[in-house]
Amino acid sequence: MAEPKNAPRVPVEERLFSLVLALLATESGLTKNEILSTVQGYRQRYRTGGDNVNLERQFERDKDDIRDLGVPLETTEAPDQPGNNHSLRYRIPRGSYELPADITFSNEETTLLNLAAMVWREGSLSGESRRALMKLRSLGVESDEPVLGYAPRLRSREAAFDPLSVALERHSIVRFRYLKPGESEARVRTLAPLALVQHQGRWHVHGIDQDVADKRTFLLSRIVGSVQPTGESFTDDGGDHAANALAELDAIWANGVGVLEVAPGTDAAARLARRKGSAVTGENQLTLHYSDMNLLADELAGYGPEVLVLSPPWLRDAVRARLEQTAAAHGRPVPAGEHEQGADEQTVEDRSTNEQGKERDHG
Amino acid sequence: MVDRPAPLQAQDKLAFLLALVPYLMDHGRVSVAEAAAHFRVKPEALRRAVRLIAVSGVPGATSSYQHGDLFDIAWDDFEDNDQIVLTHMVAIDDSPRFSAREAAALIAGLQYLSALPENIDRDAIGALMAKLARGSSASPTQVAVSGSESDETLGLVREAVAAGRRVEFDYRTSRGDSERRRVDPLRIESIDQDWYVRGWDAGRGAVRTFRLDRMSDLAVTDDAIVRHPGDVALPDALFEPSDEDLTVRIEVAEAALPLLGDYLTEDAPTRPSASRPGWVETSLRVAHFHGLKRLAAGMPGVLTVLEPQEARDAVAEWAAAGAARYRTL
Repeated sequence: MAEPKNAPRVPVEERLFSLVLALLATESGLTKNEILSTVQGYRQRYRTGGDNVNLERQFERDKDDIRDLGVPLETTEAPDQPGNNHSLRYRIPRGSYELPADITFSNEETTLLNLAAMVWREGSLSGESRRALMKLRSLGVESDEPVLGYAPRLRSREAAFDPLSVALERHSIVRFRYLKPGESEARVRTLAPLALVQHQGRWHVHGIDQDVADKRTFLLSRIVGSVQPTGESFTDDGGDHAANALAELDAIWANGVGVLEVAPGTDAAARLARRKGSAVTGENQLTLHYSDMNLLADELAGYGPEVLVLSPPWLRDAVRARLEQTAAAHGRPVPAGEHEQGADEQTVEDRSTNEQGKERDHG
Repeated sequence: MVDRPAPLQAQDKLAFLLALVPYLMDHGRVSVAEAAAHFRVKPEALRRAVRLIAVSGVPGATSSYQHGDLFDIAWDDFEDNDQIVLTHMVAIDDSPRFSAREAAALIAGLQYLSALPENIDRDAIGALMAKLARGSSASPTQVAVSGSESDETLGLVREAVAAGRRVEFDYRTSRGDSERRRVDPLRIESIDQDWYVRGWDAGRGAVRTFRLDRMSDLAVTDDAIVRHPGDVALPDALFEPSDEDLTVRIEVAEAALPLLGDYLTEDAPTRPSASRPGWVETSLRVAHFHGLKRLAAGMPGVLTVLEPQEARDAVAEWAAAGAARYRTL
């Protein structure tokens, strides 16, 4: 549109690289106009005295891309013209860009970090891990032979993970729809995210719920639809939020106790007995811990006739109801009159401040 | 699901350039082959990056990218001998810091690893995490993983893998039958809290994947393994579809679709459900209906098997048998 025609195409990485070089080299900073008119990749499309709206938008996006890589791009106002956007100066301070010279990694440490990065090879944070390894290799340290005998991996299949991890880094307040157990419709929550934690294999986001001005923990798998930034940001008080969230989830887990009868010699008997915290408390009887009754009910329903829940009553009813629902959905409705009246469903939230409950009721 | 490297984005390419320059500065002279191997990229990708660096620089005093404002390399060495020598440098002196999320990814990865039954020095891991935090351009974002349960079986299998010994164990399949298996363990894998060992099953004469929590009475034998990790191709994906798999048509709530990742085939035709808004119709591949009935009963209210009828019946029977246990008390 407003850009000169026939401008030579400069690859994106060349423009970004040139921008970083220019901003590293300047002591006093460059104004946006100086950047757009002189830096490789912008200057070819710059119209002197003309409309450069598209180019300015490009620059805004490039700034975000560069910051995402951990490049500290600073903005300073001209002391004589505060508030004037056109006199803002941009630079990358060398001291906060460069890895401190005393930080070095041994071969052994490099090997460990390679393995740590490999943990994320599937999906979320795989890009971050890959780029972190690139920076590590920049130091020239070779890692020992990759550990072939081991391939541990973490993964997050929830679509909410990526936008939440970005919001964590930028300290931005986000909004999402969350389906609480027992509610038929998802409700909008506004959260200042403080930490992402995986507990018992499930991802949670911990943060300050803006509506109640208090800390809450949400299961990522119950977030419905997309996570949207509100445009507002917050200041992190610097606490050890991840450790606090995990400790809280551990406490809930320790409190939740279920007693089951398991058929001997079955998959359920073998696997449930091997779980962390499980104990055999009688003939074919097992006691286990859980942090979320609804997720446990789903899981136990999967074992079909191999498991009979003895207590608590609401877990018993929840598993029974799920099995009847599945049977009916596959053409075998439960005979009428045989359904016993169950106790009210109780969720974790009744016993703590946590937002936990039924997971898979989005449908 | 098959792991495949994502194509390099512009951001990755920029990170590569910013990492490559200090490496080249430190090395004085290095061959394209060596540098490519170090960064684990193809030689041609490395050559392309070097060519770009060699013509890049800063606008300089004249704002016109004069010769002295640009990087330069020994072109003859590069073009004729595939050797890289930086002869002029601008702007960059050192390696870049990690971003807050990059540091967080590595720190969480280390946390996860530190739960392994290895002789990993916890203090060394702690020191390494602190170093990452100090080497990142902002405080690492808080991503944490609670330690997974590392039981005795995992430790024994790990020993067997390290020593190259065959193991024996009773293994219960999802069909419900149990059998003594003799296996050359090749690799231990995990997904979040679940642990698997992949190995050469001597009885079956094929590579198999075993869940650790279905193994019992594990013994590490004195027999050396006959198949070694280099001999056998281990595909990246834990669950490989096989020609003998059964295809099952299902209806599933869209929100629950990601939970089926391992069962969905790449080319499974997926279409919105005709009768239920927010649901989709798609296909799964399963080895047998025993696994399917457990999967379907564990996703109540969000997954319905449509066909074949035998599959529907298997799920219905399983769930009804489970529900029936509550009527007898």
